Amino acid sequence: MQNITRRDFLKVGAASTAVLAIECQFGPIASAAERFIEGGRSVNRTSGLPRSFLPSTCMQCPAGCGNISYIEESRVVKIGGNPTHLSNQGSLCARGQAGINALYDPDRLLKPMKRAKGIRGNNDWIEISWEEAYDEIAKTMAAARSNPRDFVFLTDDLAQDDLGRRFTYAFGSPNAIGSTGVYDANKLVGTQLTWGKAGDMPDLAHSKYILVFGANPLESNPQFVGLARRFIDGIQKNQAKVVAFDIRLTNTSTRANETHYVNPGTYALLALSMANVIMQEGLYDAAFIEQWTNVSAAQLAQHLAQYTPERAEAETGVTALVIRRIATEFAATKPGTTISDAMLSNYANGVQNERAVMLLNIITGNIDTRGGLCMPVQYDLAEPSPAPPAPAPSLLSNPPELPFAFQQSVETTMQMIKDRKHSVNVLMTHGVNPVYSNPDMGLTEDVLMDQTLIPYHIAVTPYMNETAALADIILPETTFLEDWDIEVRPSPELVPYVSLKQSVVPAMESARSFFEITTQLAGMIMGGMEQYFAYKSVQGYLKARISDISGLNQAGGLDYLMQHGVWYDPKTRPNYGSFTAGGFATPSGKLEVYSQPLADRNFSALPTYEPIASFRELGNNEMVLSIFDTAIQTDAKTGNCMWLNEIQHDNPVWINPATAARLGIKDGDIVKLTRSHKSGEAKERSITSTAYLTEGIHEEVVAMANGNGRAESGSVAEGEPLTADEITEIEPRALQDPNMKLIWWKEKGTGIGINAKQIVPVSPDPIGGGQAWGDVVVTVAKA
Amino acid sequence: MSSSQSPRPDGKLEMARARAGLYGLMSRVFSGKPTAALVKGMKETGMRESLASFEVPFDEEFLAGDDAEQAEELAIEYARLFLATGSHIAPYESVFVRGWAEDKPQLWGEATVEVTKFYQEAGLDLREGQIPDHLGIELEAMATMAECEAARRESGDKAGAAKLEELQRRFCEEHLMLWVPEFCEEVQLRAESGFYRSMAVLTASLVRLHCGEDSIID
Repeated sequence: MQNITRRDFLKVGAASTAVLAIECQFGPIASAAERFIEGGRSVNRTSGLPRSFLPSTCMQCPAGCGNISYIEESRVVKIGGNPTHLSNQGSLCARGQAGINALYDPDRLLKPMKRAKGIRGNNDWIEISWEEAYDEIAKTMAAARSNPRDFVFLTDDLAQDDLGRRFTYAFGSPNAIGSTGVYDANKLVGTQLTWGKAGDMPDLAHSKYILVFGANPLESNPQFVGLARRFIDGIQKNQAKVVAFDIRLTNTSTRANETHYVNPGTYALLALSMANVIMQEGLYDAAFIEQWTNVSAAQLAQHLAQYTPERAEAETGVTALVIRRIATEFAATKPGTTISDAMLSNYANGVQNERAVMLLNIITGNIDTRGGLCMPVQYDLAEPSPAPPAPAPSLLSNPPELPFAFQQSVETTMQMIKDRKHSVNVLMTHGVNPVYSNPDMGLTEDVLMDQTLIPYHIAVTPYMNETAALADIILPETTFLEDWDIEVRPSPELVPYVSLKQSVVPAMESARSFFEITTQLAGMIMGGMEQYFAYKSVQGYLKARISDISGLNQAGGLDYLMQHGVWYDPKTRPNYGSFTAGGFATPSGKLEVYSQPLADRNFSALPTYEPIASFRELGNNEMVLSIFDTAIQTDAKTGNCMWLNEIQHDNPVWINPATAARLGIKDGDIVKLTRSHKSGEAKERSITSTAYLTEGIHEEVVAMANGNGRAESGSVAEGEPLTADEITEIEPRALQDPNMKLIWWKEKGTGIGINAKQIVPVSPDPIGGGQAWGDVVVTVAKA
Repeated sequence: MSSSQSPRPDGKLEMARARAGLYGLMSRVFSGKPTAALVKGMKETGMRESLASFEVPFDEEFLAGDDAEQAEELAIEYARLFLATGSHIAPYESVFVRGWAEDKPQLWGEATVEVTKFYQEAGLDLREGQIPDHLGIELEAMATMAECEAARRESGDKAGAAKLEELQRRFCEEHLMLWVPEFCEEVQLRAESGFYRSMAVLTASLVRLHCGEDSIID
């Protein structure tokens, strides 16, 4: 402590005033009076927010649940579920409630920043104004317009990023690329080929018999809470019998009447052998097969005959007795349905797995019936006019070697850019973190680091992350609680609905919405682009999006949505059996059990089991690696949420005790997983983590949760350093940062865990283009 | 008041002006990246000598450097220290001071609401889009109140001036003192440049002096 003389104090005060005056003359700062006005009435943070609560749509995961933000004194103090929402019916998961953490994250980006100098990723940033940022980007992009097709836009879900797609097409590039390839592309392609629509919706609430193939609706599913509620309704209200097949004990399989471990990669064989039993025993729905599929029962029986329960027992590990019994029960108990998700189809034989499981519903007539496997139902939104035409496809947007991958696969994009098969002049990443979520993250990192491959990288994101860290310019985007959009998703109720995402509090500091960003940039790049971004306000744009939905517009349109958060036609009932009027949306109008497009490309045209060779000859210490999603973390959005990190902050390796005993591994030991070498591969890829011994995992499988082990996603996410170097570098911060003091798990366990995806090679299913996350064989050893 | 009315001015006008200048400058320093003009101003003789009295002199290297280059270097440091680049210190009261229901640091916490209410009471109207408890804004609020106090004193409105003086003292005690010294210690630990270390020392001293933890002696 020091004392100071009055004279000195006055002197420094006068000197300060002088400096401030100089600065005011030249600098961009606002003088005090500009921000504060004496005698003003009040701090008006709440204008436009007359209520103390506002309904909106949650964006913490893809499900898009209806939420309600409770606002006191212009701050969100709690987020809960919207009871009138058709999908989640009032429930909201931990992620949704932790939206508060996302909005009020002390690590949020609130100023546009430009890379100052040196190489990408060195963390030297410099704040710039929005005007400077727009100016630089517009100039760079206008110059790049001579080769518009070299502009690449990466986003999370392209189906939801209409503005990003619009911006890319308006610029003249076809390369708007979504991340479906690392999520559930194989499932979408499998269903699309079979019934002409991508995806499905098992009517679990009304089913009497539910067969679970690797799915986990109580923890992870694209419709998460909505489907979880229907699953519970099915088993509680409807007394459905649930039989689960999985390689791991999940929250779902533990609530099944019976659960069977199945050998990794053999789901298709299991499903096809059950189908075989149903055909051989004459338990199939002959009339349905005859009328609504493009194969005859005899053809099908003949094809399936190879999949005997005995053969299946030898390969899947499920006994022939069980296979026969469950197949018989399933065929006899109507209505019944299967449920599957990306865990079934994230293999190199993923599309076949999906089609094999669908076949069980088809031969028993459980298609699009009450309690059966239904087609997804959702409203189509209008493309506000004028709409930019889609430019001709490119190698990136439609890779020729993946003809069925109708949603581009972000994991192959990076390899193609690296191999210089497609050049890039400007890359824009929006709300996506491929360095973290892609397989072989070293590859994505290498590409983004290389300025000869990616001359200019714009990251639009509310948070710093592993991908934004490798950008040249970062635009701080609003979070979902400060932004507007219309959200539609497949309805778990099978009645379509429209959900509104609206700003529940004003945008914080200088964060801006993607609508403002794209509109501003298009207006500055010009050259015809601006005509597609002529909407004065996001509300005007959204009104155009819902203009085709007459019932909603009669109810009050956007005003109705602002008040209620969601709209559906109260008179509408599920339209079961919609195919009976006009058939399926396939070339034949029928369920294409035999797929001519697959035959044309020399793939198996009938649902077929294609063994994964590497699984069959596992060495003594070799295991199959399974990376599973939890209800807590996601790839791009939840990394730095404090409450979520408190629940899931690390991801130990699940190992069966029998396997562990054989390998001499004890609970809590540090274990090393090394990806088994493919020929010609130079680098060894390995990770270490802590062993978690549990009977809840197949003996040939090791499993790790997704969502941990982040390097650049904020101080909470990075709670524990990974290497000795980082420990010395970060330790002072760990002691001083108020955030870090609260990370109680820091000293325990595996710290922040590790991203297991980094040792997974890029390997799409040749049909679906979806990443084969499940194909990886690793050597497991005590470290 | 004017000196002609009182042969011995109480000096409050000068003190208010000094506070307005200091809080204003510190507000500017923590509100955003520096410009070359700001760096140049900091090196002016008056400022340099004044800083020495606070025992936060700038080193010779800083004084000899090129203003524009230094401004750019400092802008990078500003982003690293305060702008969410991974190892920053979020400069918000609610991150450091948490209310009864909050066990986690967050933006727009209960402290932010308290600050907002204070601005309302003081008649300070904050523009949309500003976070009320950002360090730069809180310091600017102090500067504004000090400026207004000085204006009242000049116009002879003693009661108005006394009220504003009291508001400043309260804001300092109820808000700045609760977190600014701690924040400034963080900055001193993590800043690589002498500039931000000096500014942190100066700001903490200013707040302590104002709250009477340190003294101004005649």
